[in-house]
Order: sequence, then C-alpha cells, then structure tokens
Amino acid sequence: MKKFWALFFWFWPIVALWVCFAAPGRNWWFPSPPKSTLGHQIDGLFYLILIIVALTFVGTEAALGYVMWRGATKDASSKAWFSHGSHKLEIIWTIVPAFVLVFISLTQLDVLADIRVLSKFPDEAKKGALAEVTARQFEWRIRYPKPGTMLMTDPQPGDLYFVNELHVPAAVPTMVNLRTQDVQHAFFAPKLRVKQDAVPGLVIPLWFEIEEAGEYELLCAELCGWGHYKMKARIVADSPKGVSDYLTRLEAEQNEDGVAEAPAGEESAEE
Amino acid sequence: MSKALRLRSLVLTSALALSAGCSDFDSAFVYSERTTNLMPEAQDGFEDAPGVKRLVDDKFGNPQQLKAWLKLPVDFGGSSATVGEIVADAGGAKVKLVAVEGVTLPESAKSLQFVSGAAAGQSVGITAWDAKTGEATLASLPEAAPVAGDACSVDGGEVLKQGRVLYMRHCSHCHGSSGDGNGPTAQYLNPRPRDYRNGVFKFTSTNDLSKVSRDDITRVLKYGIPGTYMPSFLLMEDSEIHAIVEYVRFLSIRGEYELKLVAELTGDYSVKALESRQEKRSEIVDELKKFLKEDMPGAATGAGDELAEQWTAANTEEARIIPSVPRVPDTEESRRKGRELYLSKTLNCADCHGIDGAGNGPQTMAFEDKAHPITGVKYSEPGLHDAWGNLNQPRNLQTGIFRGGRRPIDLFCRIHAGIKGSAMPSFKNTAHEDIWHIVNYVLSIQFESEPGSAGVAAAATPAPAAGAE
Ligand code: HEC
Ligand code: HEC
Ligand SMILES: [Cu+2]
Repeated sequence: MKKFWALFFWFWPIVALWVCFAAPGRNWWFPSPPKSTLGHQIDGLFYLILIIVALTFVGTEAALGYVMWRGATKDASSKAWFSHGSHKLEIIWTIVPAFVLVFISLTQLDVLADIRVLSKFPDEAKKGALAEVTARQFEWRIRYPKPGTMLMTDPQPGDLYFVNELHVPAAVPTMVNLRTQDVQHAFFAPKLRVKQDAVPGLVIPLWFEIEEAGEYELLCAELCGWGHYKMKARIVADSPKGVSDYLTRLEAEQNEDGVAEAPAGEESAEE
Repeated sequence: MSKALRLRSLVLTSALALSAGCSDFDSAFVYSERTTNLMPEAQDGFEDAPGVKRLVDDKFGNPQQLKAWLKLPVDFGGSSATVGEIVADAGGAKVKLVAVEGVTLPESAKSLQFVSGAAAGQSVGITAWDAKTGEATLASLPEAAPVAGDACSVDGGEVLKQGRVLYMRHCSHCHGSSGDGNGPTAQYLNPRPRDYRNGVFKFTSTNDLSKVSRDDITRVLKYGIPGTYMPSFLLMEDSEIHAIVEYVRFLSIRGEYELKLVAELTGDYSVKALESRQEKRSEIVDELKKFLKEDMPGAATGAGDELAEQWTAANTEEARIIPSVPRVPDTEESRRKGRELYLSKTLNCADCHGIDGAGNGPQTMAFEDKAHPITGVKYSEPGLHDAWGNLNQPRNLQTGIFRGGRRPIDLFCRIHAGIKGSAMPSFKNTAHEDIWHIVNYVLSIQFESEPGSAGVAAAATPAPAAGAE
C-alpha cells in the first residue's frame, strides 16, 4: 500500500506531460494560432510560463514519489532524517523560485510595454483612435468619428454609431478607446489574444494589428451580470479601403431621410 | 398560401422538435388579466358554447402544441401542396404531393401537415422524401385517411416552431412565454419589457393608426433599443431573426384576439359587472350561454378578420410614413425654426420635454386624469403613463440617445406618428417641412452649450490618444 502512493504521485506528471503534448492534436488547445501581431508575443509568454510550470510540476512530483518510494522500501527500524529547520534548504527553496519569478517579470516587461504604454504604441495607432467601443449591459456600442475627422472623447455631430460590430483595417496597427457605461466589462477577442478590462470612469486606449482579413469574435470576459453570456459581438477586419467604404455606407445610412431617390427634379411622394 | 388553405388552421405539434432535444421548456400561454377578471363561466364557456379561453386556444394552441391559423398574416413556414395519389404499402404509406402553383417543394422535409379533408389538422413525420417527384414516405397514415385533392403543407409550421425555440431561449426571460412582458427578469427593468398582447409597438415606421411592420420589428431585434435593456441580436442569422419576428407577430395577434373577445363580454359578464347586476345568477348564466352560442362565433370571426387585415396592411407602402419633402438642410436657421416650433403653443413639445429638452416639462409633475388600463384605478403618482400602465417619462433629449434610432427618418416617424402606446402624441398634421426643422433641432440639443444656442458644437476635447500618459 505504501508503494501505491509513490506510484500514484509518479503517475500524475506523466499524465500532465501527455496532456501537454496531446492537447494541440486533439483540439484541446487555443481556438486558433494568434491572429494579431501582439498575439505571437503573448503566446510566447504563455509557452514560457507553461514550460516553467510543467518542469516544476514534473520535478516536484518526481521528488515526492521518490521520497515516498524510499520510505516504503526502507526497513522499518531505520531512523528518519529530519530536515525541519534546515536553513540551507530554506534558502534554496526561497532563492530559486525568487529567481524564476524575477526572470518571468523581467522577460514580460517588453511585451507589457508594447501592449500598454502609449508612447510605445506603433505610430500608425498613435495617430488617433479609429472608434470608441462602449461596453454596456449587455452589448457593445461602437462610435466612429465622422469620416475625415478625429475621434473626440465626447460625442460630436456627425459621429457614426453601430452596435455589436466593429470594422477595423487588417494589417494596420489600430487603436480603439474602450469604456463602459455601467459596470466593469472586458474586451476579449480570443483569436487576437486581446483582453482588456473596461473600467467605469476610464477611457482605455487599446491597440492591435490583425494579420488577416476576416471575422473575429469579441466577447466580454468579466462577469458583468446575468446577461454576461450574451455579450458577444464581431470584429470585421477588412482592407483599409473596405473599412472606409463601410464607414461611407454607414454615414449614408445614418443620414437616411426616408425619401426614396427620386428621378431628378421630381417630388418623391409615392403613394 | 393558396385560397384553398384560407380560414383553416393546422396543428403544429412540437413532437418533432421535442424529440430533437428541445424539451428545455415546459410552458403554457397565460391568459390576460382581463380574461381572468371575467366571471368563470365566461372564461371557460359551456360544452357547446366555448368561452374566451377555449376560443383562443382553438386558434393558437399552447407553446407545446402551437396552432397555425392560416388566415393570419404570419409566415408559419411550410410549402403548400395537395395530395396527388396515395400509395399504401406495408412499411407505412407513400403519398405523391403536387405543389400548389407558384410554390416549389423544399429539398428536404421532415413532416407533413394535412390542412383539409378528413385528416385536417394532423401532422405526420416524413421518413423519406424525394423533392423532384414529390413522393413522401410517411411514418404512418392518419386514421382518417386523406384522399387525393386534400390540401397539405410540407414542413408546415417549421418557421413558427423555430421561432418558438429561439424566443424561449433569448426573449422569454424578459418578455414572458406569452409575450406579456412579465418574464422573470422583467421586474428589475425600467422601462419594462414590451407586453405584446395589445399589439402596440412603440418604434414603428408606419402611420399613427397602423400596426408595426415586419421591418420595424426586425430593426429593433438587430439594433436593440439603446438606453433600455432591450439588447441587440445582430449576430443572429437572418433566418433566425425572421422566425422570431413571425413568432412575435403570432404572440401579438394572439393577445389582441383574446382582448377583442374579452371586450365582447367585459361590459356584462366581468366579475365587477356582476356586482351591479340585479338579476339572479342563473339568469345571467343563461343569458351568457345564449350570447356565447349565438353571437360569439360571429364576433370571433370578425375579430380574426379585422386582425388579419390590420397586420397585413401594416406591411404595405400605404402604411409607411414617407416624408413629402427630403430633409431640410441642417442649418442654424433650420434649427432655430425647429426650436421655435418646439416651444410653440400649438406643438408644445416643451410641455412634456421641458424648455431645454431635459424631459422635465410641467406635465411630468401634474396628475394625469387617466386610469390604469387593467385595474381602472386613477394614478396616485404624478407624471405621464403609457398604454401598459407604467410611468412614462418624456425623453431627456440632451443625452442624444434615441431609442427608436437616430436616423433623421426615425425621428421624423417618431414625431409624425408619435410613439405608439406612450404619452408622446402624433403630430401628423404638422407640415413635413416643419417636422424636418424640429428633427434638425432635436438632433442638435445634445450639442447645445445653453438652451436655444442652436447647437454650437460642444467644446471639443480630443480623445486621450494624443495627450494621455
Ligand atoms: C433584457 C431583457 C430583454 C430581452 C432579453 C429582450 N428584450 Fe425586447 N425589450 C426589452 C425592453 C426593456 C423593451 C422595451 C423598451 C422600451 O419600452 O423602450 C423591449 C422591447 C421590445 C420590442 C418592442 C419594440 C417596439 O417598437 O415597441 C420588441 C419587438 C422586442 N423587445 C422583441 C424582443 C425579442 C424578439 C427578444 C428576443 C430575441 C427580446 N426582445 C429580448 C427587454 C428585453
Ligand atoms: C404629452 C407629452 C409629450 C409631448 C407633447 C411630446 N412628447 Fe416627445 N415624448 C414623450 C414621451 C413620454 C416620450 C418617451 C416615450 C417612450 O419611449 O416611452 C417621448 C419621446 C420623445 C422622443 C424620443 C424618441 C426616441 O427614439 O427615443 C423624441 C425625439 C421626442 N419625444 C420629441 C418630441 C417632440 C419634437 C415633440 C413636439 C413636437 C414632442 N416630443 C412632444 C412625451 C411627449
Ligand atoms: Cu460584460
């Protein structure tokens, strides 16, 4: 029975390693490879941490199993060795993890700066926000500036509005301003690996560069109320021309006055 | 639907949908309080003279077993056909169907509903289907066997059934399974979710006296109602939106039909009316029985016809509001005119919306001379009320949030037709050009530095992009 426990603790690191290697092939992994430039860096950090954690887990479990195996096979009359109070051991297990943590925090600094620090945003994104994305229970309200103008913090005459669909240019670093009308929400685009909380009272600039045109899911990743699960929208990445055409169409639609295009000069009051 | 199918109804059992794993709800349509305020005999009727409840159920069924009253302008789904010949064989029955003129039979088919003949109202599963020849192998032949020439519908009611499943999943927790606006989350919301049962919708593109159009409901579904809890369902497939829109129409018409039937009875046979009647109860019951037997069937048919006509008419061009002049250019001059009209004695928008548009005009502080539509009790709180008996605050126009949409045509319709069911009246007699001036003014209120400054753009602060951090 004592040996059982040693085998038990040796069994789990094997399972963990198997899961690490088998997961991608079984579709237990990310929804897709990263589709934004920052996504590659974020995945890099993820894998780095995964490797450190996996090695630590395998190492500690192997040691634990070894100690138990020794205990199980040792003759019952031999004396135990008490490690309690050993300064040497304590120093080792404080310093080693401390180094690991410092290493991780230093390594991620660059990525964090790329994501968060305005002065490090790509020039293209720094030019101005494409749109304002306002989260509210339970939808995403989008405001674009009137084509040809800059986005302002307060709504301006001519601003264009839409809901649950954000059009952005592909292959161009793009900034949006994130805010919330009520509680905390989080802007989460899984395939882009973009995740940012929306905090009441703050306007949070957020940038990403989507690599290929296409449609990407936008979800809320902050439990924001009973309708949280519904808070789903779509990000449409298109060519820059596609986006400006879209905005032109949106502008025309928003100025719709319900009078059908009449043949020149004619009053268009159809019956 | 072909003429042969009119005036008949067909039962859509949900057996198929249920066996496909959609049994996540088990619900009933609840009757209006106006129905339950009738004397019990009027609600339940007599064996040979149905009361309100049975009359409604006969035409609409319940969520598990919906009925399609084919007279109504609701797309229940299905392709109309007639039975060509019947080939009975050992393993079931084979029928050959002939599509009604102008209809093409679908590529795949799950069920067949008989609309006329001995088997009318019955639904059978289709086990094998050949769209080219119209040959359908049926799971079983109805006991009262159909004969050649009977009208039927392939996959009849599929749209309505899909609508019900989607509605139960996405809408019923707010709007209630019967569309009474009383789902479990409703009590936490202001404004309350729409109660569809009086057939009144606020944000329509139709004239003040017309019903809502399909396009209007579709718009509300896609874009939501900003400033309220009605969310946007933009990500739904068009076919799903279509199915839900038809289901909402179905629920609305059901509710209205019920109200129309109750209206026939409420004067003489409500619990309240009984209190003031001198006759013996048995005499009243006899009188009621006679009424239900002789007059009610005609009234019910009339109510159905009227509803069919109104809900059809709402989708026609005649019902739509089309401004006779295009939008007047949005100049300072036009906004000033708009503001003058806004404040004028004749239109007096300010009486409700306030001089500066903040939604706090004198009428919001006055007691209304109106009673709650169901309880009949005068309101004890000051302010305006809507057709559902809820407090109805005039919109604060300074927020720039327009629930019915912010396109100029949206606001034109709001002013032209009013907001149906709400306290906001129709201004249809106002010249269209003047309405455009008002629209221009209303759209500028948000940007006014002070009331009447004709919308000089608010001091603009650039978004934090450039400056912050
Ligand atoms: C979170 C609650 C909620 C959910 C879920 C919801 N609604 Fe609503 N709905 C509302 C509220 C609140 C209003 C009333 C807004 C008002 O009065 O201005 C409304 C209004 C409406 C209206 C009336 C629009 C008009 O012009 O009068 C329709 C139609 C409607 N909803 C359909 C639906 C459908 C269909 C669904 C499901 C797909 C749905 N709603 C889901 C809350 C909800
Ligand atoms: C009797 C009171 C009353 C008067 C008079 C009145 N309104 Fe309203 N108005 C309301 C109420 C109440 C609402 C809110 C309706 C609702 O959504 O339930 C409203 C809503 C509105 C809205 C919001 C529409 C939207 O989509 O959100 C506008 C715009 C508006 N009114 C403009 C006007 C104008 C312009 C006039 C004058 C021509 C006017 N109102 C006169 C009561 C009034
Ligand atoms: Cu959220």
